[in-house]
Amino acid sequence: MGEVKKHDTPLLDELKSGPWPSFVDDIYNYAEKHKKQAGFDILGQMELSYKNKETHWKHGGIVGVFGYGGGVIGRYSDQQEKFPAIWAFHTVRVNQPAAKWYHTSALRKLCDLWDHRGSGIMNFHGSTGDIILLGTVTEQLEYIFYDLTHQLKMDLGGSGSNLRTPECCVGMSRCEWSCIDTQDIIYELTMQFQDELHRPAFPYKFKIKVSGCPNDCVAAIARADFSIIGTWRDDIKIDQEAVRAYVGGELKPNAGAHSDRDWGPFDIKKEVIDLCPTKCMFWDEGQKKLYINNRECNRCMHCINVMPEALRPGDDRGATILMGAKAPILEGAQLSTVIVPFMKLEPPYDNLKNLIYKVWDYWMENGKNRERLGETIQRIGLNRFIVDVLGLKPIPQHVREPRSNPYIFWKEEEVEGGWTRDVAEFRRRHPA
Amino acid sequence: MDKEALKQKILEVFQKKASSGGKSKIYLKDLQREIPEANPRDIKNAANELVKEGKLEYFSTGSTVMYGLPGVGMGLEAGMDKPEE
Repeated sequence: MGEVKKHDTPLLDELKSGPWPSFVDDIYNYAEKHKKQAGFDILGQMELSYKNKETHWKHGGIVGVFGYGGGVIGRYSDQQEKFPAIWAFHTVRVNQPAAKWYHTSALRKLCDLWDHRGSGIMNFHGSTGDIILLGTVTEQLEYIFYDLTHQLKMDLGGSGSNLRTPECCVGMSRCEWSCIDTQDIIYELTMQFQDELHRPAFPYKFKIKVSGCPNDCVAAIARADFSIIGTWRDDIKIDQEAVRAYVGGELKPNAGAHSDRDWGPFDIKKEVIDLCPTKCMFWDEGQKKLYINNRECNRCMHCINVMPEALRPGDDRGATILMGAKAPILEGAQLSTVIVPFMKLEPPYDNLKNLIYKVWDYWMENGKNRERLGETIQRIGLNRFIVDVLGLKPIPQHVREPRSNPYIFWKEEEVEGGWTRDVAEFRRRHPA
Repeated sequence: MDKEALKQKILEVFQKKASSGGKSKIYLKDLQREIPEANPRDIKNAANELVKEGKLEYFSTGSTVMYGLPGVGMGLEAGMDKPEE
């Protein structure tokens, strides 16, 4: 191995002086230990970008390995003479296992692979959930893919106009609140949609994320075009004995999560009842009994989070399907909106898959270039999307804020007399 | 439309665009607009098969993917001359 050349990086060096661990230290340490010129060159180019206040990366080009239309993102330096080791610095997305459980030996093998064939710099994990391997050259791509699939039994993730790597929370593997088997759903969907994941099919990206309960630990509602969030439709299970234990101070609220400071004695009225967004709870001080009007509950999870031993999700479990979340690109940021308030999810999840195919069929035909599903819904109108596209019946759960904004749009045939009735005549009988 | 006819049609769209000085890389949606009689999913499958056969190639920035004829317009590594080792 030849000599490595370190560049002067006075601006980046300042980042090493802060109280937090610095990526600058990490990359220098790694590059010095492994004699990797790419590590020094990447910091050199970043220093130049800091100085010039502009990027020196060029985008576009390579998108995958043979047969794949995604998973590799081409990156090239526009300062190739100064930083030859990073003339190409492609990103490889690796599909993470559901809920990100790894055997340490798999991680070691992956690190060895990236030491050997890449820059050694990686990111656990990218926003979409994949393992991100940062920085390799074009000639290495096929070897990386072969090693990943044959030795590590891992696959590339999604990029470009593909289905992006589906992601889920830890689900039933660690969480007692999970109403659905998030890992199994993700595995099933990943296997079912291999073609969409690896070959561009859509007008733009499409993300599916699964959370086991309304706490929504993968932020499906904020990030996924198709958000699947576990819920229940019967009553919250109450252990009145445990509620009294919380009130009496025998059990710590939030399972002791905020016990680093003295917040005073637990006050069920102030900390639970008054914070209920739909005001559907009542604590009877005389009887020492908690009442919940479950019909009004909107599954915010606050009471369950505060008193996990006393309250639990009901037994009739399934998921709410929401669609349309996105970050601001064409239009502003949007949260997903409820499309199916409750769906039973059991293997092989045919009901779920059929719904996804129905959405895709419409979006593939009608979505515009670089238009996310949420923007398509916004353009045609939520009512048209629910009724005409998906063939569902509009219900109160589709109204975004049913308690404060009850407006819905009617079709002409749903209104007595249609749009042409004589308003003057109507007003004669019903003065405004 | 059978698959081979569709593939032929897709190639014709690209060749027509390239010969008239139009865009060398286009989105899947543009292809659908040019061939309205075919189902979008069939177009996608046919275009992806053409890539596999080496008659088309992908071009992507990472956020979206375009299709193009190999050797026409900006190549996969255009202007990205690898320095001499």
